[in-house]
Amino acid sequence: MNAVNLRKPLILTVVASALVGSLTISSVSASAAGDPGISATEIVLGMQLPETGPASPGYNKVDDAARAYFDYVNSKGGINGRNIKLVVKDDTYKAGLTISTASKLINEDKIFAFFGSIGTQTHVSVIKDINRRKIPDIFVNSGYSGFYTDPKKYPTTFGGLGTYTVEAKILGKYLQEKHPDKKIGILYQSDDFGRNAMAGLITSGLKFEAKKTAASFIAGTQGSLGLVSQMSQLKANGVEVVIIAAVSSATAVAYATANAVGYKPEKWAVISVGADATTFQTILGARKVPLATSAAMLAGTISASHAPAPGDEEDEYVKAFKKINDEFNTGADKRWDNNVMQGMNIAYLATAALMGADKKKKLTRAKLIKYLENKGSKLSSAAFSPLAYSKTTHEAFTGYWIGEYDAATVLQPVDGKRVVYTTDSANGPVTVSKYERPAISADALPKVA
Amino acid sequence: MKINKFKKLIATVGATALISSGLVVAVAAPAQAADPVCVTDSNAGTITCNGTLSTGAAYRTIVPNSFDGTFFFWQHGIRPSYPYPGYVPPRSVEQMAPAGAVDTSKDMLRRGYGLAAFDCSTGGLHGWNTADCVEMLNELITITKARISIKKTVVYGSSMAGAVLTPFMDKYPDAADAVGLLAAVTPTIDNQLKSGCDLFYIFSVFFDPTIKGCAVMGTKGVPGHMAVLGDFAKVAALLTQWSVDLGSKPLAYPAPLVGSGIPQRSALLLAGLIAGIPTKSSHMDGISTSALIPEQSINGTVAILENAQEFLGTAYFGGQAVSEVVGAGFYDNTKTDFAALLSDADLGRFNLGLSGDDAINAMLGMLAMSPRVTGDATALAKIAALDKSKTDTNKPVILLSNEADRLVLPGNTTLYLKRAMATYETRLAAWQKEIDAAKSVADISKLLKSKPVWNTVAMYAMTPETYTTFTATGAPNLTATAAPSGVGHERFTKEQLLTWVHLLAKSAKSGKVPGRNSLSSYLERTPYLNTDLDYQATELKYED
Repeated sequence: MNAVNLRKPLILTVVASALVGSLTISSVSASAAGDPGISATEIVLGMQLPETGPASPGYNKVDDAARAYFDYVNSKGGINGRNIKLVVKDDTYKAGLTISTASKLINEDKIFAFFGSIGTQTHVSVIKDINRRKIPDIFVNSGYSGFYTDPKKYPTTFGGLGTYTVEAKILGKYLQEKHPDKKIGILYQSDDFGRNAMAGLITSGLKFEAKKTAASFIAGTQGSLGLVSQMSQLKANGVEVVIIAAVSSATAVAYATANAVGYKPEKWAVISVGADATTFQTILGARKVPLATSAAMLAGTISASHAPAPGDEEDEYVKAFKKINDEFNTGADKRWDNNVMQGMNIAYLATAALMGADKKKKLTRAKLIKYLENKGSKLSSAAFSPLAYSKTTHEAFTGYWIGEYDAATVLQPVDGKRVVYTTDSANGPVTVSKYERPAISADALPKVA
Repeated sequence: MKINKFKKLIATVGATALISSGLVVAVAAPAQAADPVCVTDSNAGTITCNGTLSTGAAYRTIVPNSFDGTFFFWQHGIRPSYPYPGYVPPRSVEQMAPAGAVDTSKDMLRRGYGLAAFDCSTGGLHGWNTADCVEMLNELITITKARISIKKTVVYGSSMAGAVLTPFMDKYPDAADAVGLLAAVTPTIDNQLKSGCDLFYIFSVFFDPTIKGCAVMGTKGVPGHMAVLGDFAKVAALLTQWSVDLGSKPLAYPAPLVGSGIPQRSALLLAGLIAGIPTKSSHMDGISTSALIPEQSINGTVAILENAQEFLGTAYFGGQAVSEVVGAGFYDNTKTDFAALLSDADLGRFNLGLSGDDAINAMLGMLAMSPRVTGDATALAKIAALDKSKTDTNKPVILLSNEADRLVLPGNTTLYLKRAMATYETRLAAWQKEIDAAKSVADISKLLKSKPVWNTVAMYAMTPETYTTFTATGAPNLTATAAPSGVGHERFTKEQLLTWVHLLAKSAKSGKVPGRNSLSSYLERTPYLNTDLDYQATELKYED
């Protein structure tokens, strides 16, 4: 047989492809008419978060903030003429409801992508199924590195926060340098969040001793059981600097409990998702602690941030987002804080990603994922760090600056100057970041090449 | 708290007395099938024929006056061979069509379908006689087709029937035009039995070291049955205690964990999660909370408890039935990594119910260091080969499972689907190669007619989002009306069953399962069937 005979005529290939293609689509494919959640006029995103329940304070503002930014984008013409619609489901931080509400978002609301879902314990219940269905799961509000560092495991999931490991490594290094002679201990919740942060702190060189300088509690029990034994343990072991790796409600309980047992560590340091000032004050307010008192309790606390402090009135992103929040946020509590800032920022990034992936108005789920992997690291936002997205990691921000809460509950850079440190979720060193954040455009809309 | 079903559970322990009194009677099989005796019921508009197969097993056919040419052949699930209180082994056809809480036979006859069923017994005994059932089913189809003009044949069945019908289609690929698998083992019981044995083993580590679990199974006949009953009673006693105290007492075993403060409830939850027992049950939705059930994972734990009480009897007697086929020692956990069987999702979701990281580590550490069960090589080889199937029928196959089936886990359906898809993709790739190699339009046209077709549909009966009710004290009300759908074994609504049956008939006629749009319309019309066509149940822990 010669080479010519092996070559199939072009016409045959075309005929076969056409016939085979049509049959294949009719027999197995669900997406012949395009991905769900996207039409000529709309892109539907879905978010899961605790709108109500014990874990809701603070976090229940993120959706309103994000929606405010999307509404602003829509008022400017949307994404190539398509409005962004954000559908939110309240899972009350109960994983059983996270599963059922995810199903509703997929099947009833027909979302195009999950966006900004909040909660490590809850998201872990649905992440596998979301990825099995190849639905984009973007800007997840969890810093658990296990969601992002192995894109083969979760190819459609992308972070919306820096990982707890990255933040903890940076915070741990700072504390060791700043307080070399102090006994440093930790209070952490025994779940993926706490364990992840603990891993980062240990990687930074800190050492903890179980039942002595390391106190843990089971996530979810802080409200009902309190943290008396944990705070008493740290006090009895002479811990002078207490790191907290827990949600905001636990941070507030920890401070109140320490106060109650007469424990006054020299310094508190809190992983950022547990250090939101308004949440802290709201929770303590519910325990009849006056605002002035809770502000005084928080003052001096060390934390980290990947973005400007919400109280940084001079920051151009803060100014722009705050203005949009004032004009477009229709939520019950639109007070400007970390949660609102985060909601706005991930909405800004999502807008950029949708714009970038929608070239020629042919947005698909696969294109969005491909875009984030290939171009995500070029997207800018309010963060002082780029997204680390690539084909080998879906981690978000890898840079944090260290701050200290002042008497007005504003996180101020330590030593008066904001220095951004960067590292990875593995064993890489902590170094000073050279990233220069691009300016926000005058219309506060992302500009995507 | 009161759990009525425990009464029945514990009553079964008394079976020992009955067995030892010699109530078990073996029936000799006749050499060949006799002609059936037929009766016409003019009021019902049916002709019913009763006969016996060549093995001596009883069969029955019912044909309505309005017979449309489609005949359904029903394969029942497992039936223990030995009597115990509340259960008498069948000696004749007891089920003509999918039943359980509802009977569908009259509705099916009204729709013009012919019905056939048989009592799959071997020498008067039942148990895990799947290989015999395959032959009996074939005989029933053959003799019925010889007697009645049948246009389309549907084979369908529940539970153990999966281990009959799937190999049946391997062996007799053209005997049926459609296959229905209801809450079915698909097809090997080996995977799920391992999980059941894991559950009993973990019970032996944390609650009662005298529990032998699957290691007690394997002796044939009544003595083996009695040995199983004894072990069963120990586990039943534990479940009874937990039904009263919700497992709140601290672990009393093993010695290293005594004084750890870990409640028995957490070890029960761990055992259930490792074994893959659903965390939704007839009364517990895994979500709702109350003063006494303050956290969702405790709800899930009570669900495992409720499921375990229903699961227990069948698991023991089912396991014993399998062991009578493959021999003692079919369970081996010398290489089992129990920590790996606890999924990331469960670890995150149920951290509180498991009493936190320290308790989890302590319990998993205990499991890692506990003496293991060593199986018998011959029995292990036999069970690995039991009811194997290529899962490659090209006939329409429609599965229906409960989202939280407490006995035949819905992961069986997921596994069937995976295997069917793998087979389909292999065929498709081979076909594509042929297309690529085709040299003429005529060749291509010919090949297009033989394009492999994806011909499998999995349907699920779902639970409502929440349905747990609590008593005035905050205790879960386990005597309330059960969830309307999605729980229990072989428990479906009549609408769900009839939708399944209708789709089977439709598929048998067309040779293809309904397309997505058509399927969607049926699912949406039937309360609590999954409207999510891409829904996938939790995977089995073992998928060998």
